[in-house]
Amino acid sequence: MKRGSIQLRLVLPLVAAMLLLLGGCGPNEHERAAQAAVWDFNNGNFPAAIAKLHSLAQETNGDFVLNNLRLGSVALAAGDLDEAEAAFLRAYEVLNSVGVNNGGRSLGAVVVAEDMKVWKGEPFERAMANHYLGLTYYMRGDYANARACYENALFKLRDYADDQGNKRDAREVDSDFALASLMLGKCWVHLGRSDLAQANFDRAVSLRPDLAPIARLASEGKNNVLLVVDFGYGPQKVQTGDGSLAGFRPTAAQVGSIPSPTVVVDGRPVGLQGTDLPPMDLLAVAQQQRWQSIDTIRTIKNVVGYGLMGAGAYEGLRQHNDPLLGLALFGAGMLVRGSATADLRFWDTLPRTTFVLPLQLPPGRHTISVEFPAVGLTQTWRGLVAPEQGEATYYFRMLRWSTGPFDSPTSPLPAVKP
Amino acid sequence: MVLCLRVVNRVLVLLLAMSSLALAGCASAVQAGTNTALDDVDLVRMTDDMALKIMASPAVQQAYARDGPLSVVVQPVQNMMTAEILPRGPAEAFSARVRVLLSKHAPDRFVWIMNRDSFNLLRVGELDVDLGPAPGAIQPRYALVPEFRSLTSENRDQRSIAYLCTYQLSNLVDRTILWTGSYEVKKVAVKGFLD
Repeated sequence: MKRGSIQLRLVLPLVAAMLLLLGGCGPNEHERAAQAAVWDFNNGNFPAAIAKLHSLAQETNGDFVLNNLRLGSVALAAGDLDEAEAAFLRAYEVLNSVGVNNGGRSLGAVVVAEDMKVWKGEPFERAMANHYLGLTYYMRGDYANARACYENALFKLRDYADDQGNKRDAREVDSDFALASLMLGKCWVHLGRSDLAQANFDRAVSLRPDLAPIARLASEGKNNVLLVVDFGYGPQKVQTGDGSLAGFRPTAAQVGSIPSPTVVVDGRPVGLQGTDLPPMDLLAVAQQQRWQSIDTIRTIKNVVGYGLMGAGAYEGLRQHNDPLLGLALFGAGMLVRGSATADLRFWDTLPRTTFVLPLQLPPGRHTISVEFPAVGLTQTWRGLVAPEQGEATYYFRMLRWSTGPFDSPTSPLPAVKP
Repeated sequence: MVLCLRVVNRVLVLLLAMSSLALAGCASAVQAGTNTALDDVDLVRMTDDMALKIMASPAVQQAYARDGPLSVVVQPVQNMMTAEILPRGPAEAFSARVRVLLSKHAPDRFVWIMNRDSFNLLRVGELDVDLGPAPGAIQPRYALVPEFRSLTSENRDQRSIAYLCTYQLSNLVDRTILWTGSYEVKKVAVKGFLD
């Protein structure tokens, strides 16, 4: 009894220290810098966001993938394809690796805090990472690598759909990523495989019949300019229930429908011929996340933690109690309960949707504006080249404070704003 | 009561030990983990094998005996893999190493000609340097073209890729294939708890 009490007295301060450690886990310096970079991005200050994220993306910590995806998003919006490709590629390599969290990180994620693991995102975030890397290659005319990325993007969702063990789920998940099928089809067009291109366009249309106009124009390959337009804000990961479960908010129903874009070239509106429909809605896709096995562990830890706390409270209240035992049980319960908090990291620069707008313009340089009149958003780029042959692809990230006019993406970035 | 105290004590010690281990044992995001991509081991094995086979090929030896040194343009790898990216740098490494090995071990049998894209890229970047005659002035007779293909499957448990990497030495004049060789490898990455 005496020996046990002494040991307990030694252990209790350590438990208290662990509790303090867990309780005091606010955002660290790196997380604050990342949040500031995302704030810069949302306010259209891309150079400042890149400057902050560039150093964060080199840190090989648990946020390595997330920070590289953030950097890739910002660099793509700023027209810096070299930076975007490098960042997305670094993220891709870890995303496609297995065993990244083996050993200490797995144990830490289960025992201490889930956000100790290397963040690899939900399946839709992994699919979007492949989409953006593919888009970067596509914009550079490297259609073979772009094709590989879009194949991989479809794998990332099909993989989890297959887990459910029925084809209906697989179809539902694929249908939310018709964007990848469309872009995969376009890659095959450029690679001279019209048969495979048509198969992918057919798949996109069979899943989303309203995408037929885009698929038709894409398969004809008559456009010489392709606008890829990101609109809105993606889903945010939030705590649900008592904090042990994570969910994505808002839902598509909470935010409302996605408005249609209009395109103005050299001051004149251009007919979009029915291509102004969003091929996907990430707010809807995010609601399908039901795959993380660690959810179960968190729930069990939560229940065990509350049980231990209850037992400790009972021990403290009953007659002839042992206060030390009650305190130990309560402390252990809090420790277990405190470590059951969900990992709330998410890719916070994702859009809600991506429009794919093929245009046939007279060869030469143009000033192109994309507008969303329903929500008062506009963005203008000057000096965009419509080639005589082939296709030039331009990326627009619609943000409230990023209206332009910007010069052609090949221009160097402006100096970092203070 | 003594038993209770001992149990609680052990549980707490175990929790602390596990937490300390977890905190101390975190590898960096790029240190741990394996993937199914072609790696440096494949690069060395594949290119060693291809260079050796080209030098040993009776058809190549006959062509050399008949026409003298073979003028060859080397192309970067054509990525025909299902879902594997091969950026430009690695794509060039897989063909450049074959060229380097052949240049080293059979310098008299091959004349290496820069491919037109690389030449033009160099011209753009190095305008002050005399790069010699324009690409059209030197015509290679042969092209060494690597093509990588793969079959990929991914599910909850694993990602597996079967690679078929072929190298062809083609005669650009009569479109015959002088030599062809291949390297095959299958890679499987088994997913763990948090993959």
